[in-house]
Amino acid sequence: MQLRRLIPALFIQNGLIVRSEDFSIHQIIGNVVNEAARYNQWNVDELIYVDISRHQKYDARRDDHRISSFSSIEEIIQGISKVCFMPLTFGGGIRKIEDVDVRIRNGADKVILNTGAYETPELVEAIASKYGNQCCVISADYRMVDGSPMLFTNMGTRNTGVNVLDWIRRCETMGAGEIFLHAIDRDGKANGYDFETINRACEATRLPVIACGGAATIEDFIDVFLDTPASAIAAGNMFHFTEHSYPRAKRELKREKINVR
Amino acid sequence: MSDRKYLVHPDRPEKIEYCKNCVAPSSSAIPLAFDEEGVCSGCRVSGQRDKVDWEDRKNRLARLLNRYRSKDGANYDCIIPVSGGKDSYFQTHVIKNIMGMNPLLVTYHGNNYTPTGLKNLRNMKEVFGVDHMFFTPSIHVLQTLNRMGMLMMGDMNWHAHCGIFTLPIRVALQFNVPLIIWGEHGFMDIGGMHSYNDFVEFTYRYRHEHLCRGYEWYDFLEAAPSYGESLEKKDLITWMYPSDEEIDRVGVRGIFISNYVPWEANVHGEMVKKEYGFLESEEPFERTYRRMSNLDDMHENGIHDYMKYIKFGYGRATDHTCKDIRAGKMTREEAIEIVRQRDHIKSKDLWRWLDYVGWTEEKFDQVADTFRDPRVWWKGQNGEWVKDNLWDE
Ligand SMILES: [Zn+2]
Repeated sequence: MQLRRLIPALFIQNGLIVRSEDFSIHQIIGNVVNEAARYNQWNVDELIYVDISRHQKYDARRDDHRISSFSSIEEIIQGISKVCFMPLTFGGGIRKIEDVDVRIRNGADKVILNTGAYETPELVEAIASKYGNQCCVISADYRMVDGSPMLFTNMGTRNTGVNVLDWIRRCETMGAGEIFLHAIDRDGKANGYDFETINRACEATRLPVIACGGAATIEDFIDVFLDTPASAIAAGNMFHFTEHSYPRAKRELKREKINVR
Repeated sequence: MSDRKYLVHPDRPEKIEYCKNCVAPSSSAIPLAFDEEGVCSGCRVSGQRDKVDWEDRKNRLARLLNRYRSKDGANYDCIIPVSGGKDSYFQTHVIKNIMGMNPLLVTYHGNNYTPTGLKNLRNMKEVFGVDHMFFTPSIHVLQTLNRMGMLMMGDMNWHAHCGIFTLPIRVALQFNVPLIIWGEHGFMDIGGMHSYNDFVEFTYRYRHEHLCRGYEWYDFLEAAPSYGESLEKKDLITWMYPSDEEIDRVGVRGIFISNYVPWEANVHGEMVKKEYGFLESEEPFERTYRRMSNLDDMHENGIHDYMKYIKFGYGRATDHTCKDIRAGKMTREEAIEIVRQRDHIKSKDLWRWLDYVGWTEEKFDQVADTFRDPRVWWKGQNGEWVKDNLWDE
């Protein structure tokens, strides 16, 4: 049986890691490289970074820090790859194949995209044919609208009017390798995962589904793995602020006989 | 990207933005974000406090504490790191006198207590009737770390930030007491780094990156010869953070009680003065109007804070007025006036510190200038340092 994965998902804004809530409130947590180094010590399965900067402005803000500033996404990826030895997925602002090239060339193993895939479906095919299907992760960001999970793009601001389950089926035919199912309504709310949509997404596709949005405690992870066939769970905020959060979560999952590394 | 060449470039850096509600600048040393309305995350998170169900939080705290209470009374229930300040008093008041725990107080003594600060610290074990561990590293090593901290990162008090957040964890391991009670999460309080829903706890990464600025004892050991200083590994035990394995063995966990008990410094200050005989500084400070903060290090309110002004263009008067605006104790106009009068002052603490480490003022100024952040400072026509000011808005 496939090992199920637990993945920290980190959001970068203007060069710093932020805590995200409802895709709209962002509090600065700290340096991208320091964070990656700590996850490396914790031996995490893989890391997902999404750059949510609205402007291409990168600045680590302080010069009296041991880790100095960056001026571009390339420098950030390079800095992370130097301290981090697990698979890295990078996303944010990917609109053309050259954007993918830059990320892969600087150390990313996979890319993750949302708006780019919706607006330019050919891009998904292009990534799949150049780097293989497994390289292309689709971030299916959705909000519940009148009881249906609807796909949103442009950092959660634009309702496409497309049901996210239909979108996932289409992504599979376009050549995506994995679905990152992200519940915007639950982002940063610590109110638990959306089991129903996770289950329906897993029925809709043969692709691995990574569930994200709503984690408050380790029990939430256990519940997702027990009650849905999701192949991975991602969480952002909660990994930032409890000590050994990741290794502790792994231990608890194993104790529940969940098949994790 | 910061680029040192802008230090002498005639073009000024991008304009500093100030919070529309308080007076926090975008050049803030602590993580602070502005929303679309131009209000800072510090103000937003402080606004959440009124919506928290504090009764529920108190019950959660009680449940959590009960899990750690010593079953047979043969060990301490928890550790409270204390400086002897008003926050230390408040923490001990809550944990010992309200929640009925038996804490061990632990103090990192950086050798520069003000006379009032020391009185407050000694008074604690009397008024609370608790055991208190008082720890002072070698003064020679402290002086060395003062000089090196100033040269490496423009901060003589690295040893204190690191020591305060390392010694109690070492004690927790040695005494086998897993629970550590911190007061408020400093960066959440001033900068709004986390939400009240996060129940944020103490982590190595927060300590390493934010409190120690990414430096550890081994960076000092390695750098010592290049600064003409001598340090050996054995001099630096106080600042060595335990390994993950050791932390796991005891299950050390640090909580911030500001997540469980409403935290309002002005209210606490008055309470601990009245109930426990806490003393404010007899002497006013030059760089801030508050008399009840940072009494544990006589260089903290003056020279250490002056370095913040040199680096980022603002000081503790800004931090304190931000807190008082959010607490509804001060208007933004009053704050601006206080900041205008206080933030730039080079206080007499400097001369005390120069004697302590054997430096001249000239040397200090030279070193300090190398840490001016080019996002904040530029040189005027006559070569003088210029920055944006709150009152020019
Ligand atoms: Zn503010």
